[in-house]
Parts: sequence; C-alpha cells; structure tokens
Amino acid sequence: MAALLESRDISVHFGGLAALSDVSFAIEPGERVALIGPNGAGKTTLFNVLTGQLRPSSGSVWLKGQDITRASVFSRTHLGMARSFQITSLFSHQTVLINVLIALQGTRKGRYSVFRRLLRDREIQAAAQRLLESAGLWDLREAVVSSLAYGQQRKLEIALSLASDPELLLLDEPSCGLTATESADITAHIRDLGSRTTVLMIAHDMDLVFGVAERVLLLHYGRIACEGTCEEIRSNQMVRDIYMGTRHAGLR
Amino acid sequence: MSQALVTGLNGLSYAFILFLLAAGFSLTFGVMGVLNLSHGALFVFGAYVGLQVIESLDIFWPAIILAAVALAAIGFLLYFLFLKRLYNRVPEQAVLTIGLSYVLANAILWVWGPRAQITAPPDILSGAFSVGDLSFPKYRVFICGVGLVVLVLLWWMQDRTRWGAIIRAGMDNKEMTASLGINYGLVSTLVFVMGVALAGLGGILNAPITGIHPLQGDNLLLLTLIVVVVGGTGYIQGTMLGALVIGLVDTFGKAYIDEAALFFAYVIFLIILLVRPSGLIGRRVF
Amino acid sequence: MAEPSNTPPRREAQAGEVVAASTGRSLPRTLVSVGLPLLLVAVIVLLLPMVVPKFVSSQITKMMIYGLFGMSLNIIWGYAGIPSFGHAAFFGAGAYGAGILILKVGVSNFWLNLLLALVATAVIAAILGIPAFRVFGVGAGAANPIYFLLATIAFGELLSRLAVSLRPVTGGSTGLSGIPLPDLGLGFRMTSGRFYYLVFVVLAVCLYIMYRIVNSRYGYALRGIHDNERRMQALGYNTWLYKYTSWIIAAVFGGVAGVLFAYYGQTLVPNNLAMITSDIAFLLVIMGSTTVFFGPLVASVVYVGVEYLASLYLPERWPLIFGAMFVFTIMVIPDGLGVWVFRGWRRLFRGSAA
Repeated sequence: MAALLESRDISVHFGGLAALSDVSFAIEPGERVALIGPNGAGKTTLFNVLTGQLRPSSGSVWLKGQDITRASVFSRTHLGMARSFQITSLFSHQTVLINVLIALQGTRKGRYSVFRRLLRDREIQAAAQRLLESAGLWDLREAVVSSLAYGQQRKLEIALSLASDPELLLLDEPSCGLTATESADITAHIRDLGSRTTVLMIAHDMDLVFGVAERVLLLHYGRIACEGTCEEIRSNQMVRDIYMGTRHAGLR
Repeated sequence: MSQALVTGLNGLSYAFILFLLAAGFSLTFGVMGVLNLSHGALFVFGAYVGLQVIESLDIFWPAIILAAVALAAIGFLLYFLFLKRLYNRVPEQAVLTIGLSYVLANAILWVWGPRAQITAPPDILSGAFSVGDLSFPKYRVFICGVGLVVLVLLWWMQDRTRWGAIIRAGMDNKEMTASLGINYGLVSTLVFVMGVALAGLGGILNAPITGIHPLQGDNLLLLTLIVVVVGGTGYIQGTMLGALVIGLVDTFGKAYIDEAALFFAYVIFLIILLVRPSGLIGRRVF
Repeated sequence: MAEPSNTPPRREAQAGEVVAASTGRSLPRTLVSVGLPLLLVAVIVLLLPMVVPKFVSSQITKMMIYGLFGMSLNIIWGYAGIPSFGHAAFFGAGAYGAGILILKVGVSNFWLNLLLALVATAVIAAILGIPAFRVFGVGAGAANPIYFLLATIAFGELLSRLAVSLRPVTGGSTGLSGIPLPDLGLGFRMTSGRFYYLVFVVLAVCLYIMYRIVNSRYGYALRGIHDNERRMQALGYNTWLYKYTSWIIAAVFGGVAGVLFAYYGQTLVPNNLAMITSDIAFLLVIMGSTTVFFGPLVASVVYVGVEYLASLYLPERWPLIFGAMFVFTIMVIPDGLGVWVFRGWRRLFRGSAA
C-alpha cells in the first residue's frame, strides 16, 4: 500500500544556510506521527514545504502516490491535506461561526456562487454546528474571534483545519501557549480524531507527543536525526543529548 | 550622429533631475514603507519657493538652499502631524497625501497664479560649452554635476555610515532595530525630511530648464512612480538606474519620434511590472 | 518589516443576517429593519423631482451616479481588501465606450450601448488585472500593497494618455461632446427628467445585484481573503481567481456608472480616466466607510453637495476643498460617515420593529 505522505530528499537552502537537508520519511494512512526537535531545527520549514507555501531547493513531496512538489497550496487541500498554524491564523474580524462557515466552504461545491447565500445554506450550517460542538465552541459562535481568549482561539484554529475533512492533518504546535488543562483537552481531541485522519504533528510538549503519537521523527539542524516509536525515542540517548544540549551527537 | 551627444546630455541631465525627484520618494517608500503621494506637488512647491526668492532677492544660490530648507520644514510638519500617526497604514497614507497634494497644488495656484514660471540660470552657468559644432548647455552640465554629488553622498551614506546601516536594518525589521535601543523614530523623521528636501532641490534646480507649472505635480508623481518601480527600491543605485533608463529613453524617444511623450517610459514600466516587479536593482520583494 | 495593519475593520453586520440564520429569530425582522427604511428612501428619491427645482434633481442624479461608482470600488476595496487607485480606468472605459459607440459608431440604443461598453470594460479589466495581481502579494509585508497601488495609479494614467493620443477615436485632449440623451428604444421619448428615473432604476438594480454578491458564498470568500488570505489558501481557496474575478466585477459596475455619466454630462474628457477621477472613487469609499454596504452612497451625497456649494461660492478653491476632504476624513473621521449613519439607522428602526 502506497504511503499517504512521502518526503523524498527535501532540501531547502536560504542563501548559504541549509534549513533542511535531505529530509526523507513516509507516513502511512492512519498513523499518528510527531515531529520533534529543538527550536530552529526546521520543523515549520518542513511543514511549509509539505503544504506548498515554500518550494524546496531540491527533493519532492508525494501525496497518495502523486508528486505534489509544485502543486499550489490550495490544490493540496483538495487532495486531502490540511494544516493548522503555529501562530494562530484566523479571520479575526469575523465571528466564530463565520470563520467555520468560510472554512467549510473551501472544499465544497458552490463556493464561487455569487447568488447563493452562505448564511442560508442548511447543509453547511449543520456541518458548522457539528464542528463547533465537537470543539466545544458552539456557544461562542456569535463572538468575534478577536475577542476570544487565546485557548479558545487555538481550538478554533484546529477546528478550521478539520473543516475540509482531511485525510492528512498537519498540526503545527497545536498546544502552543496553552495551559496544562487546555493541552490535555487538545491531546484528547486529536486522539479521538478517528483512523480516517492521519496526523503529522509538530510538538514541543512531550505529554502531547507521547499521548498521541505512535511514531516520532526527530529533526535536528535540518536533518532527520532519528525516528522510532515513543519507547525508542524516550530511551534514546541522542535525543536526550539534543534536547539537553550536552553533545551535538555528530550531526553536522 | 553627433547630435546624439547633445541629446545624450539632455537625457542625462533629465535623468539626474528624475533622480533628485525620485530619490526622496525612494528613500521614504523603500526604506520606511511610507507612501507620500504628495511628492510631485512638493517638487513643484520647491520650485516656486526658489523662484520667489530669486525674484524677490535677485540671488540664485541662496535661493536653492532656501528652497531645500523650506521643503525640509514642510517635510517635518508633514511627517510629524500626519504620517507618523498612520504608521503602517499604507492606503490611508496614500489617500491622505493625495489630498495634501490637491491642497498644495491649489494653494500654489492661489498664491502664484496659474501661469507657468521660469527663470534664467545664473550668469556663470548660462551659455554653453562649444565642442566642434556641438553646444552643450552649461546649466545642464551643472545639473549632472549636482546630481552626481548627491548620488555619491547618498550612496556613501547608505553603504558606509552607521545611519545607512540603521536604515537598512530597519528595512528588514523595524521592531528589532528599535529594540536595539536605536532611535529609529528620529532616523525615520530625518530620512523623510531629507527626502522631501531633495524633491524641493530638484524642483528649483529644474526650474531654469523647463520652468514649472502649478499643476505639474501629478505628472511628476507618475514619473517618480515609474522610476522607482523600474529601478527598484531599497538601494539608491536602483533609483539612479531607473532614472537613467527612463530619462534617456524618454529624451531620445522624444527627439526622434515627436508624439512619444512618455510612451516608452510606460512600456518599460509595464514590462518591468510583469517580468521583474522588484525592479532592476531592488530588494527582492516578490 | 512588521505586518502591515491593512487588515479589515470589523464589518458592521448586515442588519439581522447572521442573527437570523443562526439563532433562528424570524426572518421578517430583516425585511422590516432593512427593507422598510430602504423603501422609504426610495420613495423619497422617486418623488423628489416633482417638488424640487431642476438643478437639484440634476445634482441628485449625479449623487446616484457617483454613488454607484464608489460602491463599485468598495466591492474590491472594502470586501476583498484590494485598494485600487485606478478605478477611473473602468469608469472612464465605460463612459468612453458609450460615447464612442454613440458618436463614432452610431449605436444609438441605450441597452445595446450599455452591453457593449460593459463588455469592453470587462476586457480591459481582464487585461489589466494580470499585471496588477502579479504585484499584489499575499500579506507578506508593507511593500506589497504599495506596488499594487502604484500599478493601479499608473493604469488610469496610462489609459488617459491613450485617450489623448487616439484623437480620431476619442477626440484627443478635448474629448467627446454632444452625447445625446439615451434612446431606450421602442419609441420611448427620453427627457432629462426621465433620465433621473432611468439612473434610479439602473442604480437600484446594480445595488441589488451587488448586495447579493457580497452576501453570497463568493462574497464571504472575498471577506475571508481580505481578513487572512494565507489561511484562505490553506483552506482550499484559489485566492488569485477570487481577487481577479472580483476586480472584473467591480470594473463592470464602475463601467455602468461610467456609461450613465456619459449620458449625464454629455461630455467626456481624458481626465475621466485619470487619477483625478479615481481619487473621487476612493474618497467616496473612505469617507463612506468601507465596512458599511451603503457607505459610498452616503458619501456621494455629501461629496456632490460640497462640490455643488463650492462651485457656487468658491469655484477657484474647489481642488483645495477636495483635498481637504481627504485629509479631514483620514484624520478626523477615519471610520467614515457610513458607520454613523448605519448605527443611527439601526437605533431608529430596530427599536420600532421589536
């Protein structure tokens, strides 16, 4: 069975700086994979390449057996990929409900219709209700996003990325800036996503990683330093060194 | 063929005038991201102030200084009263400065009347250098000289001085620069004021060549935009290159094809916009 | 550079729309709080020519035409977040299109004329849209809107120079004059009095269409793009296509205003394509509030009023007053007049509909 997502020798150079070097890995359908690594390791850069916001200097990205390296950002969403952002990226001047309606519309037919009214569409409204209820935001649907607390915004951030019912969900630090309770909430939420959704997640919070991930990839100075199951990673000396900074473990 | 050399000088002096006009705009726009669309009107105003001084006091050189100083003062007011409050709000800056350009143009019309004005260059600079049967007007050579000096000064400032470094750092990251304890606000104000003063300088220096008219501001703004887009922003050499290209192409175009008036400039502008939006030597913004 | 703050101000909710849909309050409330006052205004406008002198109804016609012009720009400026400074290119294209068709080609039927002029405007918009959006960027810094502004400024100026050069077609710098009143066909006799009603009808139809568009699926996508284009792309939207098509839509409505303008003033000059006319459009947008649907229409009333008064008492200083309006709006009423009118309207009519 073909891997859902494949990264083949992805390299990104900014001038003389190699942000990513020969990053290769594969994600199988249904997997929960965490991408960890110290700050500046290139995790978000890798996400940007996978989602199309950045073109790699070399290498390719494959989704469901198709080469999507040159595909536009929006077409990838239609192919089943979705992403959440580390820095909350919402429609801050709209209400929560409208945020979700717009998100849902993105992959639905009729989004170019100049006459059909968005707010009157029963099907989308129902889908919005389901999405908001599972995120626990239904009661806040009339609130303007800029007035929401940070934790609530993060929840909405993830809810929006689920709107397209993606097969592959890329979460960029979903619990960034959240309290312990809120993080636990998110962890449970992601765990409950169902086997149809494959998750690749950038995370710093080890509770989140070990609570959700079956496999872990460690990125260091733009390269995959090691990968393995949670147990393997937890007991790996090199991982400890990288995070503790005791040695560079010969990775240059 | 040799007549081309004379046209060449005309083109070159025109290019330097364009440079003086556009340099100020390029600095404020490329460096600070501030859009001052009253720039053309300020050039005109500089010319009128200078011309008034020449007429009233019958002196040339101090008139130039006074025009630059007057414009610097106006620039300061403009920045302090209006533009400072519209930090980073580009469409608002554009709208405001367009409004100001109307006010300024009409004020000029009010004070000095609707007819175009011109003055003669000072005695030392009137007449021409004769080389064979070609005559190169002295004043135009002078303009090239002044332009060159300004170019060198600005280039040096950009590359070699601490100010230039601050400005370049600020271009990349304003917050970071400010947090390093550098008074970016002061630098910004000074850069803006200098930009406006340059426009005024260009205005009065240009007056003896083609004269000036109260409603020329719009046309000049357009030229500025074309030069800045073609040359690229962020580097003073870009502005100079843009001015050279436009100045020479336009002058030669007009010399050989009568109705050309700015046509070639527009074509180049559109091509650059389509093919290389960052300009010939610009910081890569696209 | 830091992120620019050209993010959209919160849009005043279209009275009752969201509320009605999501909390289930009865829809007729919308009809009452919006429809009734609208009907009132419409009736007043329709009855006015019977009670006011000719020159007043002429000014009102102008208010309607400019209002349409401003509103067409607001589709891209207020909703999609595309600040175009060259909208007169389309206004003028519509106007010149109509003028040329009547005077040079001999097409006298108003409807045919309108159709052809709009097609021409749409084509011009389609062509200019390509370089324009190349330099638009996706919210990646302060530089990008500036380049777009510059490009749009240049377009209007370019077209106006073109109008000056193509003398045989456009009448050169003196332009076209002697455009007759529109011929609606079917032997209908047009008078300047009836022209008022024609403009009213066209305006009403255009407003309705615009209203449907901005509240449609497409319209909300535009709002999303204005707020956060990057997210829209991540959500599956081809944002370039939305921006490009909204640009053309706005151009077409601007062209309609232009066609009406040609018949209204009966004279056209290259300045109708130039920045000086584009300036009117965005003054109307900014003075009227980008966040209120009818904003530019409200601003148009004020604008034409001020212009008229200036023409009576201070004709020489009109450009100064014009410029002062810009400065005043930005510095004193940056949110625009539309916001005040909208709130006052709501307070007045919402209460009575309870």
